[in-house]
Parts: sequence; structure tokens; C-alpha cells
Amino acid sequence: MTGLSSQFAALVVVLPLMFAPICALLRGRTLPWAITTIVSALSFYVSIELVIAVNTGGPISYHMGGWAPPWGIEYLVDPLSSYMLLIISGISTGVLIYARDSIAQEVADKHLGLFFTAYLLGLTGMLGICITGDAFNIFVFLEVMSLASYVLIAMGEKYDRRALTAAFQYLIIGSVGATFFLIGVGLLYMMTGTLNIADIASRFSEIEDTRPARAAVAFLVIGIGIKLALFPFHVWLPNAYSYAPTIVTAFFAGTATKVSVYLLIRFIFTVFDPEFAFGIIQLKDILMPLAVLGFLSMSAVAIFQTNIKRLLAYSSVAQLGYMALGIALASEAGLTAAIVHMFNHAVVKTGLFLSVGGMFFMVGSVYLKDLAGIGKRMPITTFGFVLGGLALIGVPLTPGFISKWYLVVAALETNSNLGYALVVAIMMSSLMAVIYIWRVVEVAYFRSPPEGAEHKEAPLSLLVPCWMFILGSFYFGIDTTVNVGLAETAAAFLMGGAP
Amino acid sequence: MIEGLNPGTILILGALLVPLTSGVIRSILLLVLPILALGQLYALGLGVWGQYEFLGLSIEVTRIDKLSRIFGTIFCIASLIGVIYSLHVKDTVQHFAALIYMGSALGAVFAGDLITLFVFWELTAVTSVFLIWASRTERAFKAGIRYLIIQVTSGVTLLAGVILYYQDTGSIAFEYIGLGSLAGGLVLAAFGIKACFPFLHNWMQDAYPEATVTGTVILSAFTTKLAIYALARAFPGTEILIPIGVVMAIFPLIYVVLVNDLRRVLAYSLNSQLGFMVIGVGIGTELALNGTAAHAFIHILYKSLLFMCMGAVLYRTGTVKTSELGGLFRSMPVTMVFCLIGAMSIAGLPLTGGFVSKAMIMSAAKDYGIVVIWLVLLFARAGVMDHAGIKVPYFTFFGQDKGIRVKEAPFNMLLAMGIAAFLCIFTGVYPAFLFSLVPFEPTYDAYTAGHMLTSVQILLFAVLGFVLLMRYKIYPLEQPATILDFDWIYRRGLKSLTLAIGRLILVVWGWILGVANGALGAIINVTARTHGDGKLMARTASSGRSIALIVAILGVVVVFFYR
Amino acid sequence: MTEPERDKKYWLEEPKNQNKVFYCLLVLCGLLAIPDVVKLFGVLFQTEGNFELKSLLKFYSIYGALCYVALIFIAKWLRPVLLRKEDYYD
Repeated sequence: MTGLSSQFAALVVVLPLMFAPICALLRGRTLPWAITTIVSALSFYVSIELVIAVNTGGPISYHMGGWAPPWGIEYLVDPLSSYMLLIISGISTGVLIYARDSIAQEVADKHLGLFFTAYLLGLTGMLGICITGDAFNIFVFLEVMSLASYVLIAMGEKYDRRALTAAFQYLIIGSVGATFFLIGVGLLYMMTGTLNIADIASRFSEIEDTRPARAAVAFLVIGIGIKLALFPFHVWLPNAYSYAPTIVTAFFAGTATKVSVYLLIRFIFTVFDPEFAFGIIQLKDILMPLAVLGFLSMSAVAIFQTNIKRLLAYSSVAQLGYMALGIALASEAGLTAAIVHMFNHAVVKTGLFLSVGGMFFMVGSVYLKDLAGIGKRMPITTFGFVLGGLALIGVPLTPGFISKWYLVVAALETNSNLGYALVVAIMMSSLMAVIYIWRVVEVAYFRSPPEGAEHKEAPLSLLVPCWMFILGSFYFGIDTTVNVGLAETAAAFLMGGAP
Repeated sequence: MIEGLNPGTILILGALLVPLTSGVIRSILLLVLPILALGQLYALGLGVWGQYEFLGLSIEVTRIDKLSRIFGTIFCIASLIGVIYSLHVKDTVQHFAALIYMGSALGAVFAGDLITLFVFWELTAVTSVFLIWASRTERAFKAGIRYLIIQVTSGVTLLAGVILYYQDTGSIAFEYIGLGSLAGGLVLAAFGIKACFPFLHNWMQDAYPEATVTGTVILSAFTTKLAIYALARAFPGTEILIPIGVVMAIFPLIYVVLVNDLRRVLAYSLNSQLGFMVIGVGIGTELALNGTAAHAFIHILYKSLLFMCMGAVLYRTGTVKTSELGGLFRSMPVTMVFCLIGAMSIAGLPLTGGFVSKAMIMSAAKDYGIVVIWLVLLFARAGVMDHAGIKVPYFTFFGQDKGIRVKEAPFNMLLAMGIAAFLCIFTGVYPAFLFSLVPFEPTYDAYTAGHMLTSVQILLFAVLGFVLLMRYKIYPLEQPATILDFDWIYRRGLKSLTLAIGRLILVVWGWILGVANGALGAIINVTARTHGDGKLMARTASSGRSIALIVAILGVVVVFFYR
Repeated sequence: MTEPERDKKYWLEEPKNQNKVFYCLLVLCGLLAIPDVVKLFGVLFQTEGNFELKSLLKFYSIYGALCYVALIFIAKWLRPVLLRKEDYYD
């Protein structure tokens, strides 16, 4: 690669980082939004280029400032990280198109510039985590993302002051997670004397029997688990998602937790060898029960929720359980399921949150009691929600089905009673998904709207992006060459041996 | 001709054109397809084509050797006869289904591996049922359902056997399988269902008489003979087949005497004839297998000839019940002549094809050395007279005149019957034609004086028996009735049993439901109490408690990793 | 349909012709049995000949007739057991 394209690996992160402070200086509703959208779209474009480059030419290593690793910071784009870049920047761009009207209503005008600054910083953090090849750098980006997200969640205070406590709690727990992560990285640095991931990986086998290394693994797994909202570390998530502005929820639900899933995969499969993680320390025995309990329990909780955003938030925790299960199965099929589910869930959940956002935009509430008969009042938006719900349940022809199919196949591949039990658990959880989606459908279509309620659709600027995600999710449920194809490549790459 | 194209696929592909055509063009298409298939069969010669690797399995789409060629040849001829016989039919579904059915039977004969065999095997089942349903009566529908269930069971059993066989041997080649393992047993059972082994046979007597006039003719030629071919391929010399064949040869004859519906009579007689072939396969010597193949060849000719005659009678008079027919020689003399030729052939009178092929199997049985088998075959030969010589021709065309006056059968039916009748006699007069087709070097001369004399003796004395019984009014009078057969087990017994079980299940189910309801209610209650809105699992814990939990888990994990 | 035909008498319809057919059959059977009868004499007069089942007097003929009659009687005997009304299954 020559010219600008040789700098793509840096550009994808640097672009949003550079424009973030500019946004802070801008006033008005349109300008900061426009810049953010354009920057995000550019990142998306660069991500696509990177995906193509990685899948044709193999992993790309970019040396920040020309310093060769392990001394300098290395940006490493491999199939998995390019896949993540694609998801993050794609979701971000789609959500931003939706943002203009939505955010103007939900956030005070004077904060808009700062909002988009924080948004861009959050984007920077996520992209950075996925692309960097340096463990400490990951921590830095993790903090950038987290700090930005605390701010973004707190912005929901215009409608509901509880956003502030939610953000505060997230800050406390998130910081604990970040600290654990830092302790883990520090221990690894202590033992190996390097922060470069590839370097740590190559030396890890020598130190894997030492106590600091074992402690590092524990701290890293728990730390990432907190950021990932792995059951039972999910306490911060439902509140944060419920009270944050719509587009923040939509953006984070699609990407933030996925970034943590990425980190978990990266550390387990690249830094620690799967043989160590699953063979020697039996990480499976920790991860799998949490994953299964997570998706069963959280799906059950979702059934009883009265707030749709909160319902979807609990459902997200459950879906993260599926991904954790895919990882815990420790096979190529399981890993494929986890990776592909990141993509599919991101598209579907974002679409669902956006359609709920449309209801909120028009009705001003996301409580089921206020949304009676919404199917008649806002037929298009509600129908979008129903379709998204089907995808979440995993009806054939939807991406949810694809993910669950791979997950079930991976579970059956274990050829054990455990595998069958897992399939039963997945089915039960899917059944519960039917119930909680049905509750919304029941309220939306089978209850009459309140007297004198307006029959008015959300504006096109909300409908179009929302339906883009809904239809897109169906596209990826039918033509799976992109999502499954790339995920299989990534899984094969990871299982094929660490770089 | 396309290199290695399975002749069966010509009929199947051609069938796809049928819905697009009508009138003369359709007739031409229908006639050309079997001829093309026959041409393809002989253009290919002997050999193996279409080998593919599929999921690690060696598929072999077309395998023509002498055994499959004789069956393939007669299947092509039977297709042609069947097509001619049904030319007047305007029902697209019937033509379509019949062609695919015939094509898949032909395809199955040339299948070189068990997977291909299975595919065609199931295809014959699924398509043939339409020939039964095409009667469009309630009885035909129900019989078709029963038929389909049993046929598909055969296919599923075959598949199970094939899978086990593959696990045992790592091969799916359609060669000698034998009864060495469970796999062999399952495959034999699958073949046995289609070959109408005793107690597995009722689908035929149940369904064939309910099919359409032309449908029965076509059905009678393929399914069971495909099964005989499969047996001859996979189980030659399997001794258990001999007692099975013995029961098959005799047992249906009793029903032949009793049953009233002449197409059902023919179905039972078909079953008895299959017994001959099964015995031949069970003996498994070269002469026996030659005899089996030759007998299948001839059998298809005379059996479809007889079915065609009865079909023509049904077509014209609307009934084939002995109790309602009689004296038809006045109205349908040509059909009568053809029917007599078919009857002579099934009885095995010299100068008909049946004489030659039956003589081969009987000789093989005699060589085999167990006198009982030979006596049984002799018994079956005498017994065959009852329907072949007497019941079918006598009660239809002669006997008491029931005053039915109809037109002669349509020309296309007569033509089809004529071809079959000609071939019956041709193979009898010129057996060298038959011998040129049989799978092994023929070393047999049917036309010795002894053979001819004894077979005429046995047949004529059987006729004498009949005449005496008739004269002294001992012969059982024909009357409309249902004759119980083994299918009582599932049509009545099983039904009552199922109903009883059903009632029991209802009671138990009600009880289980009650318990389950209670249990489910309890689960939902517990879930609601723990996971409900604002309850333990849905509550936002304080940050302090959350972190305490996190640290606790961290501690557990660290200890776990240290172990 | 073809009403005139009803009046036409066929040769076979005359009872006496039917008798003729019966007697023809008897004669034919007799003729066919001749070789076996001849052989029977052989068996009677040359006692050293090895005895085989099928060389028994008119074996094929008797066997054929007996088999047939036996079959009919078995069927007759089974008939009350197996016979049901025509619409039994409906």
C-alpha cells in the first residue's frame, strides 16, 4: 500500500480523535452533527478498505511514529480486528444519521457540541481498542471510551435525572473493571517485560505456570467481564441503557459490549493460548456457567420489564451470554458463533433500539403502559420493532437464527450430554425471547390506544435509518457471505495459532 | 446419447415436459421416452458411468451389467406398454407421476451405489401414490395413504440400513450385502416390504385394486420387481429367503380363491409369483438367478397383460367383481383372447414365456436338493390355475351370462395388450431371446419332452379338478365380501388398540398436564419472585454490593486458577 | 348397448356343448396320462428299479389335481373365518 492508503490503520483512529475537540468548539444543532457523521462515515470507509486489504493481503502491521515494535506502539489489523472496525464504524454511522432530530430533542442545545465530542471520543476509544497491538494502549483506549460513555449516559438527564446516578454507578464499576484490567496488564508486563501483545503472547508459555501470570489471567478475565457486562457483573448496564439518550443506547448496545467481547477473545485466543486457557486453567468452567446462567436469568428478567429500553437492555445481557458461551465452547465453530453473533446482534439490537427511539420521539415514553396501541398509532415504526424482535428470537431467515444455528452446531459438536443440555438451555432462552417480544407486540397491537392519542409516524430521518438496520438485519440473515464469511475467516485465523 | 446418462433420468426429465404439452404432441412425447430410454440402455452397453465423490461417498449413478440390463430392458418395455395403454387418459397428473415413477424404478435398477438407490427408491414410493389417488375416491385416498406410509417406511428402513452398512464397511457400493449384520437385516426388511414378503405384503392387495385402470397396470410392473432385482443383487443365496418364498408362493393362493375383486385376485397372484422369484434368489445358483431374472421378465409381461385385460373390463363395464361379471366373451372377444394368452403364460403352458422361466426355477429348486421346495413350487403351479385359467378368464368372459353388453376395449388398450401377448408367446416359442438377456451363461433347455408333458399334465389335471368341483357344485360361490388378511392387524386391530391406548393416554396425559401445570406455575411463580420487575435479579444493586460481589468472584477465580 | 347380440346364441351356451367340453377334457387327461401308465407297468414288472417319488403312478397328474382340490378346500374351510361384509373396513 502506498500514499494515504498506507496510513489507513492510523487514520481510522486518528480521524475521530482529531475532530473531537473541533466539535467541542462548535455551536448549533447541525454543524457538530454533520462533522461527526462525516468523520464516522470516513472511518467506516477506511474500515471497509481495511477489511478488504486484510482479507486479500493478510494482517497489516502499522508502526506508530515509525517505531518498530516491541519498542513502539504497533497497530495490528487482523481479520478479527478489521471485522470489529467494520461493525463499530458501521453501527456508529447508521446511528448518527438517525441522531440529528433525536438528539436535538433529548439533549439540551448548549450541550450538543460536547455531546458529539464525547461521541467521537467514544468511537475513537472503541476503534482504538480493536486496532492496537499494545496492551497498555488498549487500557488507554478503554479509558477513553469509558470516560466518554459516562458523559454520554449522563446526558440523558434532561428527561430522567436517574441518568446521572446510572452514569455514576457505571463510572464506579467501570473503573473497577478498568483497574482490574490494568492490574492484569501490569502483572503481564512484570513477568514478560513487554507490552506488545504479540510479544507477550510469544513469551507467555514460559511464564504460564507462575502465580503472577495466573493472577493476571484472573484480573484480566474479571476486568473484561465487568466491561462486557457478563452476568453477574452486569449491574451497571440496564440502568445505563435505560436512561441514556436513545442514540447512545443504540450505539453502545451495538458496539461497546462487543468491544469487550473482542478483548476477551483477543486475550484468550491470542495472548493466552487456547490450550492454556481451556486446557490448563479450565477457563471454560468459569465462563460457561456464567454464560448459561446469564442468558437464562436475564431473559427471564426481561420478561417482567415494563420499560422497553430496560427490557432490551436485559436482553442484551442475555445475548452477551450467548457470545460468552460461544467462546467458552473453545472450538472453531463456537468462536465463529460468538464472532458472528457480535455482528448480528449489533445490527439487530441497534435497529430495535432505534425503533424504540422513534416511539420515544413521538410519545415521550418507553414504558409499556404508555405505548398501548402503538401499533396503530405508529404502524411503520412498530412493525420495524416486530421484525427486529423476530430477528432477536432467531426466526429462520433472520441473523438471530444464523447465530443460534452456529451456536447449536458448536454445542452439538462437543458430542456430550453437556452439549445437549446447552442446546436445551439455548432453546429455553429463545422461548423466553418469544415471550418478552410478544409482551411488546401484545401491548402494541392488542390494546387500544388511549383516547385522543395522535396517529402520527416518526419523521423520515428516524424511520429511514431504523429500517435500514431492520432490513439490513434480514439481508444478513439471508445472504450470510459477509457476516458469516468474515467471522469464519477470523475464527480460523485465531484458532490457526496466534501470530 | 449423453455419455453415461442413467436411462431412468430420460423418463424423469421427459416427465417435466409433460405438463407443457397436450394432444398429439403429448402422445408422441410419451411414446418416444421409453424408446429413447431403451435406446440409451443399449447404446451404453455394459459398464459404469457417473462416478462422483460426494461427502466422501462414492456415488455411481449408472451401472449396467447383465443383471441390471435384463430388468432395465423389461422396465423399458413395460413403460412403453403402460404408456400405450394409458394414451387415452387426459389426466396430466397421472402421466406425469407415471413417467417419474417408471423413470425412478428404472433409475434404481441402474444405481451403482446405495445412496442413489435410496433416492430412486423413495421417488418410486412418492410418485406412485398419485396413480392410486388419481382414482379420486375416498377408498383410493385412504388406501393411498396406507400405501404411502408403508412405502416410505421401506425407504426409511433402507436408509437406516445403508447408514449402518456404511459404518460397518465404509462402502456404499450396491453389491452383495448378505445377512451378516443388523445393516443387512434392515436392508433386507426394506427390500422385503417392497417385495411383499409375508406379513409385509398387504400394501399391494390393499392399494393396487384402488388405483386407476391404467395406474394398476403401471404399478404392477415396477415396484415389486425392483425389489426382486435388489434382492437378487444384494442377497443371492441367502437361505432365509427360501422359506419366505415358499410361504409367499402358497399363502396368497388361498386368498385368490376367496377374493371377489379380480384386480385384487391378480394382486394376490402377483404376490404368489413373487414367491417363485424370492425362492430363486434364495437358492442363488446361476440357474436359479437366471430363472429369477427371466421369470421377472416374463412375469411383468403376462401380469401386466392380465391387469390390462381386467383394466379394459373395468373401463368398459365399471366393475371387476367376479360376482357381477360373466359371459363377456360376447362383447369383448379380443380382450378375451389376450386374457387367455396371459392366463396360459402365467400358468406356464408350453410355448408361452411362463413355461420357460418357471421351468428354470423349478429345475434349480430340484437341483438344490430339498424336495419340499420343489413340491411347493409344483403346488403353486397347480394352484395358479385357479385364477389364471379359471377365475379370471372363466368368471369374466364365460360362466354365467350376467347380461353385460359393452363395446370392445379402445384401440390403444388392445394394442398394448397385443404387444404384451405377442411377447409372452414370442419368448415362449423363441426362448433364445430370453437366454441372451439372462445374467449368467444359460445352460438350460426347457423344451424337453418330459418337461412339456409334466407341466401339461399338472395344469390339465388341475383344470379337471376345477371342472369336477364346478359340476358337483363344491366350488365356493363368488360373493361380494371383504376377505381378512394380515392388514386386519393394522386396519382393525391396531386401530382398536390405538383407540384404547389413546383413551389411556388421555387419562395419563390429563394427569401429567395437571402436574405439569402445577410445576410450571411454581416455576413461573419462583421466576417472578426472583426475576420479576424490581425483584432480586432485576434490582439495581448498590455499587458497594456489586463491587463486593465482583471482588468475591475474583477471589474465587484466582483460587480456581491457582489450583 | 348392442341389444341384438343378446338373442344370438353362441355355441358355448348350449348345455350339451358344455358337456362336450367336459368329456373332451376327460379324454385329453386320459391321453396325457398314458406315458405314466406305461411307466407304471415298468415299475410293477421291473421291481429292481429305484423308487422315486416322482415316478409314482401319474405323479404329476394326481399331484396337480390333488393340489388344486386341496387348495379349494382349504380356502373353503378358511372362508367363514376370513369373510366379512364388503364395507367391513369403511
